[in-house]
Amino acid sequence: MDVSISILSQVAFWGLYSGCIYILLATGLNLIFGVMKIVNFAHGEFLMLGTYITFFLFVITGFNPYVLLIGSVPVLIVAGVIVERLCFRPILGTGKLNEIFISLGLIYIFQNMVALIWTDEWRSMKSPFSDITIALGPVQLPLDYLIIIVVTAVILVLLHFFLKRTPIGKAIRATSQNRKGAMLMGINVEKINMLTFGIGAGLAGAAGTLWAVSGQVFNPYMGSIPAIKGFAIIILGGLGSIPGAIVGGLAIGMVENFTAFTLGGSWKDAVSFILLIIILVVKPTGLFGEDEE
Amino acid sequence: MKRENIFSVFLAACLVLLVLSTGCTDQQPPAAQSGEVKIGVIASMTGAASTTGKDIWQSAELAADEINAKGGIKINSLGKSVPIRLIQGDDESTREGGMKAVSKLITQDNVDLLVGGYSSAVVSAHQSIVAENKVPYIISGASSSSVSHRNDLDTSYMFFHRPNTDDSGEASVLFIEEVVRPAVNAKFGFAAERPFRVAVIYQDSPFGKGQLDAVKNVIKARSLPIEVVAEEPFKMGESDFRTVLTSVKAKNPDMIYSVTFLNELVPLTQQARRDVNFNTLIMAIENNDDPDYYKGVGTYGEGMVMESRFSPYAVPKGSTEVATTQFLSNFDKKYGGFAGMMGAATYESIYIAKEAIEKAGTVEKAKVKDALSNLAMPQMMEIMKGGTIQFSPDFRESKFDLYVVQLSMDQASGEPRPEIIWPENLEARAFVVPDWYTPGTS
Repeated sequence: MDVSISILSQVAFWGLYSGCIYILLATGLNLIFGVMKIVNFAHGEFLMLGTYITFFLFVITGFNPYVLLIGSVPVLIVAGVIVERLCFRPILGTGKLNEIFISLGLIYIFQNMVALIWTDEWRSMKSPFSDITIALGPVQLPLDYLIIIVVTAVILVLLHFFLKRTPIGKAIRATSQNRKGAMLMGINVEKINMLTFGIGAGLAGAAGTLWAVSGQVFNPYMGSIPAIKGFAIIILGGLGSIPGAIVGGLAIGMVENFTAFTLGGSWKDAVSFILLIIILVVKPTGLFGEDEE
Repeated sequence: MKRENIFSVFLAACLVLLVLSTGCTDQQPPAAQSGEVKIGVIASMTGAASTTGKDIWQSAELAADEINAKGGIKINSLGKSVPIRLIQGDDESTREGGMKAVSKLITQDNVDLLVGGYSSAVVSAHQSIVAENKVPYIISGASSSSVSHRNDLDTSYMFFHRPNTDDSGEASVLFIEEVVRPAVNAKFGFAAERPFRVAVIYQDSPFGKGQLDAVKNVIKARSLPIEVVAEEPFKMGESDFRTVLTSVKAKNPDMIYSVTFLNELVPLTQQARRDVNFNTLIMAIENNDDPDYYKGVGTYGEGMVMESRFSPYAVPKGSTEVATTQFLSNFDKKYGGFAGMMGAATYESIYIAKEAIEKAGTVEKAKVKDALSNLAMPQMMEIMKGGTIQFSPDFRESKFDLYVVQLSMDQASGEPRPEIIWPENLEARAFVVPDWYTPGTS
């Protein structure tokens, strides 16, 4: 095989693209875990919903799919708020087993609901930029993937400013750091839970939109594998750490793609989890997790 | 409400559900008593292969409706004709789902016969249940030879109405050797003895591995000047092939031989040409000859080739033409669209079941099995060896005359459409090396 810099750059680029989807998914998951300390296995279903909402809006409006982020993210935020209010709030603090069963139930509800509305056939959509490639040095890069990387970066920057500069963002961070302390300071933590869950679902929805725009196929059952990887990423990066989710997402994206390149596609999931085990053995709290007292 | 009370209510609800569900799972009476022939249809109605599963189920329904409209199946032991009742068994595209569905169909629904089965991995997992219960099973998918040739269990009740991976691998390799290699050599001025470089991208499953082995075995057995330069496996249900394609492209193949399910072939083809700028021919195999492939792949499918035995849009001229056109028209009337290859095979399987039960004169499973073993019925839509559907004495496999189609864009539909290009006796036109095609090496 002629392994050149251009081929390695190409693989790295595919890794970067995969990493972007994982980052958005894992950041939302981590935000929710950081504030509510709940484990939502149905998080991948928000990504799946994001793909279908985008597909639906694309079919009825014909707008540029990137513009449809303006539609899909708010819809997913509302969906997240409803799920938090109806499903997770009643069982908050009653034990991890309840959270697990609720989220497993949500997986079936979302999958069947989407299958009922849009059928369970595999679907895909075409971006208006799908035939355009940009030459970046020796590598030909599809314009769509460059846009996806830029959009992910913009979303993360906006999230950073939201969490650092706005009163609600500060309240989310305070609740994440010390729930009781936040309550004593007059923060309505139930409202913060609801909002955080909504933002987490919205980020997964954005990941779903970008998944669909990139030309990947989707069906109602496609959310489970990305969700498992999302959990692996937040464990790898450190529970509750947003920088950890970003680094973890990129690491998993890169490792998966270089593994597929060197060992073959059937190894890519296995190697991601081998990496996870190694990190946990070396640093049990994850790359960016804080050691507990 | 106190937590103990909540727990009591939950426990009571569980008990009520348990009692109700026990009532629901009572065994159904056998056909002789219920006045109908019960056929269990194993189809992937949900999960990764759900598109094909729907095709299987709808085609089975169409066949059963046609048979019932003509009075049903004549059973001599009952002295009358009885209708078919189909019972759906959703294997959920998983081994576990298949085992659950088959167990239910056999032990609770008490079916007389089973039909269907798609993925080799899924079918291989529930074969032991069928063997143990000795229920005749006409399998229209599961093409891996490792499924039909296994000797670790009794497969005598299983009848395979599909070409195995050895058959389809052989047809594909012969097509490459007889048609593609000379055409590429002629177009690019290569020496006649130049080895043709093939990369195999295959699903990491018995189906994928069976095809890979078949391709390599045929090349070796016939000492063909074809070189397998890459063997790239991928996980079932994969939708991101960019890195695998980048890796394959670096090995400079003249052609990709892809062993995929429908939902995998569409992104593989699109990503090869659109994202990786890989202007090579992709050869797919028969299970992908489905309207959803042509719809999904769009312009990127132009020039691609596919080994097939039933095509929704390319009907071979000859003895099967009328039956095929009729089937496609009836399917379109009932469901508004075209059936794929798996649908056609399942449709035929229902008719095979009818023929076997009528020959046996009973629904007694051992006698139906014997009738299937000795079956010789005229071919329907798929072209059979000798024009007859019959199962081989060794592994109970039916034998097909396979062909290859090439896709070209149809401006009216905006989708690619297939035309038969091999073998000579069936071809509608000659194979064309696409203008965009680039060979692996000079």
